[in-house]
Amino acid sequence: MRLGRNFGWLIVIVVAFLIPLLLHDSQYFLSVFVMCLINVLLTSSLRSTASTGQVSLGIMAFMGIGAFTSALLMMKLSFPIWAALPLAGLAAMAVAAVIGFPFVRVTGLYFAMVTLFFCEVIRLILTQWRTMTGGSTGIVNIPSVGTISVLGLNINFSHILPYSYFALFVTVVSLLILYRIDRSHLGTHFASIGQDESVAESIGINVIWFKVFSFCIGCFFAGVAGSLYAHFLTVLYPDVFSIFPSIYILIYMVAGGRKSFIGPILGAIILTVIPELFLSLKTYQPFIYVAFLYIVLYSMPGGLVTLPGIIGARFATMRQARLRND
Amino acid sequence: MLLQGFYNGLSAGSIYVMIALGLALVFSIMRILQFAHGEIYMLGAYVAYYAYAQAGLNFFAALIVSGIALAAVGVFLEKYMFRRLRANVEPALLAAIGLSLILQNAAVIAFSNYTKYIQVPAWLSGVVMLGGAGIPSLRLIIAIIGLVLVIALVLIIRLTKVGRAMVAISQDSDAAALHGINVNRISSLSMAIGCAMAAIAGGLMGALLGLSPYMGTFALTKAIAVIILGGIGSIPGAILGGFIIGLLDNLLPLYTNTTIAAIAGFSVIIIILLIRPRGLLGRE
Repeated sequence: MRLGRNFGWLIVIVVAFLIPLLLHDSQYFLSVFVMCLINVLLTSSLRSTASTGQVSLGIMAFMGIGAFTSALLMMKLSFPIWAALPLAGLAAMAVAAVIGFPFVRVTGLYFAMVTLFFCEVIRLILTQWRTMTGGSTGIVNIPSVGTISVLGLNINFSHILPYSYFALFVTVVSLLILYRIDRSHLGTHFASIGQDESVAESIGINVIWFKVFSFCIGCFFAGVAGSLYAHFLTVLYPDVFSIFPSIYILIYMVAGGRKSFIGPILGAIILTVIPELFLSLKTYQPFIYVAFLYIVLYSMPGGLVTLPGIIGARFATMRQARLRND
Repeated sequence: MLLQGFYNGLSAGSIYVMIALGLALVFSIMRILQFAHGEIYMLGAYVAYYAYAQAGLNFFAALIVSGIALAAVGVFLEKYMFRRLRANVEPALLAAIGLSLILQNAAVIAFSNYTKYIQVPAWLSGVVMLGGAGIPSLRLIIAIIGLVLVIALVLIIRLTKVGRAMVAISQDSDAAALHGINVNRISSLSMAIGCAMAAIAGGLMGALLGLSPYMGTFALTKAIAVIILGGIGSIPGAILGGFIIGLLDNLLPLYTNTTIAAIAGFSVIIIILLIRPRGLLGRE
């Protein structure tokens, strides 16, 4: 591990842990911070699924499954958070595994349509299953994470400042796991499938299994994000997990840059934070999203993460032109 | 009761077919899933509303105005947005998704969130008794208009030179171009026809159920379900699929509630996508 590059990321993580302290007197911005983390996690999960070339329009379905699972485990079976959270992810992953095998056999546009409909189906099932989910009015009073006692200090996680640290911790750990997967052998298989399925198959990669695997990994973390969301808001209702929020996450991913690991994270951060910084623009939020989407689609196909590269290249050509003129 | 559901299903199917045919036409010629088609339908409803309820035009004239207006919008979109993304599936889908968000939110801002209602002319608000069950006159007119438009479209495709050019492009656009077919012009025309049909469907539906900026999402999901059931690239399939789904949507809720009926409907579509992606009558 080269110390240089990783040291930079360590600084980023330390700064991230300082942000809640900076924002500690604003409930509002702390909530923005938590939602931003949830979006980052969701977008990275979507990217994991998309790394094998499958663009899912229905990630909210899995977030919903995770959210309700976590909430119900804590409410009805009194599970503690450190069990409920991973189980939420596992529940989402289980569903992904079951539907994954038939789903990954269809490609491209068909996969998008199938996941679109699946998202609707899950939302309708959640609405219909009144005994478990409270129907369209949902459930309230979801317990937050509880309290822990550290060095004689009682930290109550239902307050937003400790919760933001909890969310940050979960997100950082999840991103680390996703990153290690991305950089591993497994990640290379995913990338090769994403690049060209038939070539990948010809060198012996079992495309179906790996596509299901990437789908499951993505959905696991979507479920975890759902759990974070449930215990943050303490209320849940099925209509939140519908098609258009899924599309927003897709836009975050595309705007940030699909190919790299950081791209989606960047996209999620920028597109979550910007509408909040300019509160008067709140009604125009979708327009801001679409503006970024179109800028990326039409002039920065690699995503916003390639912007430094483009600017750097532009400077380099300017320097070269100047040197040649002298 | 069953007959009532059947009649409602026919008129619903009529609407679904009108919307789906537009989507299918655009898809088979430009190879783009026009995600904003639902919003075109929604805008058609609003244009018809303003033409009829505010400007006082005759109801049918309002529908025609709406159709022409949205056809023009469609031509504009084709020329400046979709032409350069033709056959590039993913960017086109994303661009269409973006367009759908723009149009939907512009409508929310311009028209406000609340459902608006259209007061149809008196002769349309009655009920016609047909064989033991009553069908609201409006629904009957919807079914008739739908039938007329669909037949007109099928005749255009079968009998005119332009129609045959459309078929040619849907089979192989490069070969069609080599034969001297102006692919750009036909794409414009198909977009215009598709948007006009969606707009008229929107106007009719708006009169029936009221208008809301979000009505487009429903239309889009129904249209996609119809073309999947009927088969992507097949016009008869879209017609068949539209009526099947229209009937199911109105007959199933008689036995279970609407939510379960919707779940069943979508699940069937998902299964079809997985097992027989080319649908009932599709070719690809």
